[in-house]
Amino acid sequence: MSTPVPPAHAQPSMANAIRMIRVLGVVSLLCGVFIAGAHVTTLERIRHNHEVILRSSVAELLPGATREVIYGVEPSGELTILSDIEEGGSRFFAGYDASGKFLGVVVEASGRGYADVISAMYSYSPEKREITGFKVVDMKETPGLGSRIGTDPDFLANFKALDASLGHPITTVKHGTKKNPWEIDAISGATISSRAVGRMLEASASKMAPVIARNLNRIEQGN
Amino acid sequence: MSDPQPIPSCCGTAPPAPGGSNPFVNGLWKQNPVFVQVLGMCPTLAITNSVRNALAMGLATTFVLASSNTLISMVRKLVPKQVRIATYIAIIATSVTVVDYLVKAASISVYKALGPFIPLIVANCIILERAEGFASKKPVFASLLDGLGMGLGFAFALTCLGSVREILGAGTFLGVPLFGSHFEPWVLFLLPPGGFISLALWLVTFTTFRQIKARRAARAAAAAAETVPAGQLVEVRS
Amino acid sequence: MNESLTHIFLDAFLINNFVLCVFLGMCSFLGLSSKFTTAWRMGVSVMFVITVSGVLSYGINTLLVTLHAEYLRLITFIIIIAATVQLTEMFIKKVSPSLFRELGVYLPLITTNCAVLAVPLFQTARGYNLLQSTVFAIAASGGYASALVLLSLVRERVDLSDIPNLVKGTALTLVLASVLSLAFMGFAGMGSGG
Repeated sequence: MSTPVPPAHAQPSMANAIRMIRVLGVVSLLCGVFIAGAHVTTLERIRHNHEVILRSSVAELLPGATREVIYGVEPSGELTILSDIEEGGSRFFAGYDASGKFLGVVVEASGRGYADVISAMYSYSPEKREITGFKVVDMKETPGLGSRIGTDPDFLANFKALDASLGHPITTVKHGTKKNPWEIDAISGATISSRAVGRMLEASASKMAPVIARNLNRIEQGN
Repeated sequence: MSDPQPIPSCCGTAPPAPGGSNPFVNGLWKQNPVFVQVLGMCPTLAITNSVRNALAMGLATTFVLASSNTLISMVRKLVPKQVRIATYIAIIATSVTVVDYLVKAASISVYKALGPFIPLIVANCIILERAEGFASKKPVFASLLDGLGMGLGFAFALTCLGSVREILGAGTFLGVPLFGSHFEPWVLFLLPPGGFISLALWLVTFTTFRQIKARRAARAAAAAAETVPAGQLVEVRS
Repeated sequence: MNESLTHIFLDAFLINNFVLCVFLGMCSFLGLSSKFTTAWRMGVSVMFVITVSGVLSYGINTLLVTLHAEYLRLITFIIIIAATVQLTEMFIKKVSPSLFRELGVYLPLITTNCAVLAVPLFQTARGYNLLQSTVFAIAASGGYASALVLLSLVRERVDLSDIPNLVKGTALTLVLASVLSLAFMGFAGMGSGG
């Protein structure tokens, strides 16, 4: 497309070819300017939107949190403070209340559900070594069945104090058979989605909890 | 890309545009891109599981259509025939990228709900079809009107489909519950098969309307032909 | 996320079939499925274009990321697709002029097929590596082709039966598609391993 191919039936003159290249060049230059302009003008606003969403979900999972610090986890297990909220990779958010007291961390987790990937956030208390809250961010589970993992109050009650000390793996058990604090009581009729939640929490917690425990002093100070 | 051949219409054949009518009304109703021309099926089916998403998608498409139509009409005399489609695609892709940023700036949750279908507006056949079929031949203002009309017609169709699917599938309209708690939502309508079925129902409804109208017009014409003496000119509005 | 290749394949081919579950490539799905012969030819050429452009886009995207020019992603993807379609056209013309004559009309259509554009968009959004991207492109396009062929087979049969005038045409095709889509919903849950 950048080098226009002359049509087979007529050999265009050199001047014509130059004209085509010139027009395409000018058009793509203008397009580039427009796109870059839109990118620059909306940059601040988009970052602000991301921040609002993050702040509200952190506040929802850690009631009382007014300030949060984003920690990125390096492959070596080292922590770095991320200033750019849109930066991806392995990360978690530490929440602090108005007096600067450390409340807990919020971790993002995702895993394959019934229909597509479920992405969620959960709050983890390093002190109690428990998961203290859970929130689905995005899913395509069957509405009315699997989608209840985001709304069902009985299911969400599993995550008020879910043992994540990693002595026992977090497992999902059949509805009504929860006995131990590390078990998740599945929703009947949405067993696959419930199990997916258990699996992704186990995978994420077993990866993040040791990193958090190792760096707890630093996280408590927020630097 | 650079051969000066006509762009084949990728879906059903569009009826020829009636000459002389207002381009705005034309797109909105007479040649509604979804119900009449059956174009742009992907977002029509994918993004209509709630009224809010349908509206957002419709408005984003309207913006792209209006701006690409206007820009293409502006440059229509400067672009050599061989590279016109390349130019159109560049202009459309630019408009879509701008919309992508605008939607993200307006609301992240809407942006997430529309997902890949915002960048995919580029591949929406309505836009290239209007660029080639209208904006490349007509003056700037008419092209703008055409883009707005077609876009709003598209938004209207999406909202129709979205309302049926949201009301039946979730029992809500724009998120507001319509029925009591005893209402058991017909979940199928939120799922892909429901999208196909509800669009089929809307198409049948529209065909019925058109058939009734055509029959009535035929009857009126027949009646007029009987009562009016021969030799007198009658204008039959159909 | 680190997904296994089998997962990616099953997911793109069946569980989230591009046509029947994600609604991509609708236009050609409804428009070119009336005859089996056209359907499978279209399916195969789309498979070819998607696979080639998917791999090329992966390379270009890596380049864009190193240059910090991600905002040019969409426009470059489209250029890649248009170029691939053009190349395919020239290639088929050279290799088999008879096939070109049969397929000629449909080839330019592939450029405006959103299933083709969706593959590079999805693979960058999900952060697939080269091998994963290739498997994803093959599976997604294979899913597209099989849906197209399935619908064409059903439509060829229904063509011979007595149908009310009202639903003839697109409405009937949509009803058939919805039945196929219902059938494909049965594949959901296959990848969850639960």
